Amino acid sequence: MSALLKISQLSWQVQTKAILKDINFTVNKGEVLGIIGPNGAGKTSLLRCLTNQANMLNQTNVSGSVQLKNTHLTQYSAKELAQHFALVMQKNDSIFALSVLDVMKMGLLPHKSLFSIDSDHDRAQIALALEKVGLIHLVNTAFNLLSGGEQQRVLIARALVQASQILVLDEPTNHLDVYYQHQVLQLVNKLNITVIMTVHDLNLASLYCQRLLLLNKGELILDGTPKAVLNSETLSQVFGLPCQQSTDEITGATQVSFYLKDSHQQGSQSLESDNE
Amino acid sequence: MSKAFTLWGALTLMLILSVISAITFGPADIKSSELITCLISSCQSQVTNVVIWQVRIPRVLVALVAGMGLAIAGAILQNTTRNPLADPYLFGIVSGAGLGATIANISLADNLSIALPLAAFLGALFSVIIVVFIAKVLQRMEQLLLAGVAVSFMLAAVTQFILYFGEPFATNRVIFWLMGSLARVEMSNFYVIASILLIAIFTVIAFHRQIDALLLGDESAASLGVDVDKLRLLMLGICAALTATIVAYCGGIGFVGLMIPHIVRQLIGVTTLKLIIGSALIGAIFLIWVDVIARSSLPHAEIPIGIITSALGSIFFLFIMYRSRAMN
Repeated sequence: MSALLKISQLSWQVQTKAILKDINFTVNKGEVLGIIGPNGAGKTSLLRCLTNQANMLNQTNVSGSVQLKNTHLTQYSAKELAQHFALVMQKNDSIFALSVLDVMKMGLLPHKSLFSIDSDHDRAQIALALEKVGLIHLVNTAFNLLSGGEQQRVLIARALVQASQILVLDEPTNHLDVYYQHQVLQLVNKLNITVIMTVHDLNLASLYCQRLLLLNKGELILDGTPKAVLNSETLSQVFGLPCQQSTDEITGATQVSFYLKDSHQQGSQSLESDNE
Repeated sequence: MSKAFTLWGALTLMLILSVISAITFGPADIKSSELITCLISSCQSQVTNVVIWQVRIPRVLVALVAGMGLAIAGAILQNTTRNPLADPYLFGIVSGAGLGATIANISLADNLSIALPLAAFLGALFSVIIVVFIAKVLQRMEQLLLAGVAVSFMLAAVTQFILYFGEPFATNRVIFWLMGSLARVEMSNFYVIASILLIAIFTVIAFHRQIDALLLGDESAASLGVDVDKLRLLMLGICAALTATIVAYCGGIGFVGLMIPHIVRQLIGVTTLKLIIGSALIGAIFLIWVDVIARSSLPHAEIPIGIITSALGSIFFLFIMYRSRAMN
């Protein structure tokens, strides 16, 4: 495996508050990387920096570097960045009645010049991507009428049309019910491209990511396999709740459970880690 | 594919027929057969010749480009700000033009035919510069429209102050100008508006993918490689120039930019290319026929065109509100 993305000494300071503190890690090609941590740990901020959104890396209160294929991210144009990173962010709604096809066509943008029209090849790419996420039958449906899970899948399909090497997702399972959470993450897991995503639910992260980064208060605490990162001692410190690691009998994945002190003593109710 | 083709074909045909039949309406009675003879070879009477070539045709053609321009400006603003209520008028463009026209009318009594459009244009540009400046300082897109409304009221207040103390004759002129009319337009006006319109359409077609990307949010657009701020500024500039030119020659014609894109979204689609071309065609047809009503519904007088568009527009607006309430 070769390092596709290299993050060195990345810090982001807003007034006296450190949003990100001296972050160092590399992302290898083909990896499915999950970023976990409590609310306000800096997960989304990290995604913003490592995709250089809104020219973050050139701001005076951001220091350190992000290199893509050994070239600083700041040297890439916005269009080139869009050819390398496909983003699926949390908020995606339109007041206008865009169809699924309209949304999919946006994915063509980084590869199109001004005045260009859609070619047969483009239409084939769009159909192929929708086929892959299992939504080809909804191509003419209004995007706003889809369920949350379907919208996420359309946006993932859009990212496929964008044909970028790295897929970046911010909380892809937010607002989805259990079925769609698994469906979306399984889809992401099987795309065979490099994926970087923030995940709120630790057990889902463990199940679908090859590698996890644990952030807390802007610092990178742990970096490694799910089994190594979901360490009960560290997690109970970070989340402020007693925690226990186990292995799921069916999937074989590392799982964690959190307990409130009172309920732990009673030994009955457990709080799943996905609670906000 | 063929369905879309039929629709575009039907709209284009309707526009051509509207232009031709609108020329026959007006105080002087001109029959279609007479018009066709005039257009193909030469007119039988000198009077008809003058009426057709120097009065009717310039007027219908200006209605065509003004309708296209106002509708396109509204469509661009609505898509780039993601606000279905955006309209060139809400950005203070007309109030700015009104202030310019007022100052021209009060201070320069002679040579108004050049000074008035020029002053109106400068006033409109001035208001847009203020609105953009405020939006830049606030850095909030949602507040661009609010800033426009505030600037609009401010400039209207200044205008009314000047008019209140101004000479009654000049005040009358300004008030009538603000109501909008195509009665004084000339062929040269058509050329000016048409050239700016062509530049606007050309630019929008060039950037249609970028504008579409904005429809799912700034963040999404930026991630697709769009420079959101620059694109929005460019589009605002184009809308301002387009509206300012039209207002300078035709006065205040409200609500076209607001309602035509809404109709197009229902009939044709929401993405930029469809919206712009549809708005251009339907906007042109609409304004041509409103101008026909304006000049032929009363026996010896004209109704200012802005009154008709505003009346129709406000009814339409309430209808939209009612429909969206019913849908929710």
